[in-house]
Amino acid sequence: MEDKDLKTAAKTTDKNSGDPRIIAFVCNWCTYNGADLAGTSRMKYSDNVRVIKLPCTGRIDPLFIIEAFKKGAKGVLVSGCHPGDCHYTSGNYHSRRKYATFRDLLGYLGVDLNRVEFSWISASEGNKWVAVINEFTDKIKSLSGNSTDIFTKK
Amino acid sequence: MAKTKTDEKLQKIAKDLLESKEISLLIGYAGGSNPGRMRPFFITKPEETEKLSFGKYAVQDLAVFLKKPEVKKFGKIGIVVKGCDEKAVNALIQEFQISRDDVKIIGVECNGVIRQNLADKGETKVSESTVYDKCLICEEHTPVLYDFIVESEEPELAVSGNVKPYADIEKLEAMSAVEKNAFWAKEFDKCIKCYACRQACPLCYCSRCIVEKNMPQWIDTNSEETGNAQWNLIRAYHLSGRCIGCGECERACPVNIPLMLINEKMARDVYKLFGYKSGKDIDAKPVFGVFAESDFNDFIK
Repeated sequence: MEDKDLKTAAKTTDKNSGDPRIIAFVCNWCTYNGADLAGTSRMKYSDNVRVIKLPCTGRIDPLFIIEAFKKGAKGVLVSGCHPGDCHYTSGNYHSRRKYATFRDLLGYLGVDLNRVEFSWISASEGNKWVAVINEFTDKIKSLSGNSTDIFTKK
Repeated sequence: MAKTKTDEKLQKIAKDLLESKEISLLIGYAGGSNPGRMRPFFITKPEETEKLSFGKYAVQDLAVFLKKPEVKKFGKIGIVVKGCDEKAVNALIQEFQISRDDVKIIGVECNGVIRQNLADKGETKVSESTVYDKCLICEEHTPVLYDFIVESEEPELAVSGNVKPYADIEKLEAMSAVEKNAFWAKEFDKCIKCYACRQACPLCYCSRCIVEKNMPQWIDTNSEETGNAQWNLIRAYHLSGRCIGCGECERACPVNIPLMLINEKMARDVYKLFGYKSGKDIDAKPVFGVFAESDFNDFIK
């Protein structure tokens, strides 16, 4: 991804297309390589997604998700290695525990839970990456205009 | 005011501890600015223990002082705690903020404390409708861990079930996302970012809070809608699985945001998902410090 894209990654809408923006926080070892594989295999997937690579899902602080929403993202995806496959042994287990409760909290405070998604995608699952992104994009596009969160200005 | 047996016993324990130099500071309660209030009371000399008291107005969670550096420097500390407050001490020990050896826990049996706003108006009876919600769901009228215990003279709190504690949680859970959003947007709109909720919390002990970090600035410091929601969400999230439900944040809030509705909901969720309740056992690992391969996985694709 180019620098320019990174800076505008979280902006809600591309001024030209008006597409909903989706931010994907992915881990360096599995999902990023999975997405890479999708790319090198010339698979096509929705261009609404902006990928932000981090070392591990365990590094993805819930603050990042809130920040993405605040900056105007319509959907946020968190994706990492399958249970048992973490490069750091247990980062994904810890993050799973975190997100189970964090997701509840988001829902309780009135965030439409269709707007957050979590997945396990390994380095060999380029096709799963494509499917997850496309499905998620469709879901975000189908949401009504009043799909809610408390982080954006009314 | 005549001394009650509770007070006498409390004073004797405190005096003995201070005289024998087992502790160098005692944190307890003393009579407050009006008959319906009690204030925190710090004692370093045995002869000062005469003012020490405990009763149905002792609302504040004294464990909050244990995190302060100016208190920590005293070394060995004695603290008077109710069952709920004692859980905060446990959680602090669990998270290695204080050492079990440095704190002498003087537990007092408590059968509920009267809501301060009612006590200020002259309420003197401990009953279902006058105590805090936390007292109605209290499982620790006698603290779970203590070095000394002082029995209560108050009659046991009768819970008929007519008053439903934290009833709004169920109401909120039944709402749609849009309705919940409207509810919380209205509540958080009041927030003035005074961080009293953080200061009053015995478990918010980070010397540098996330809200004070400004490279990058994660949470907007001005009090406007988006930053307010962000602050309140992160505060609640950082306490999930840790909050012991003393309710001090809500009591400290100058604009009356019902913070306990969030904290209590998180506590329930954590119990439902991981079977963990905070502050029950000093040997237990904090819930987010461990994991199980069998953890809840349904929400992940």
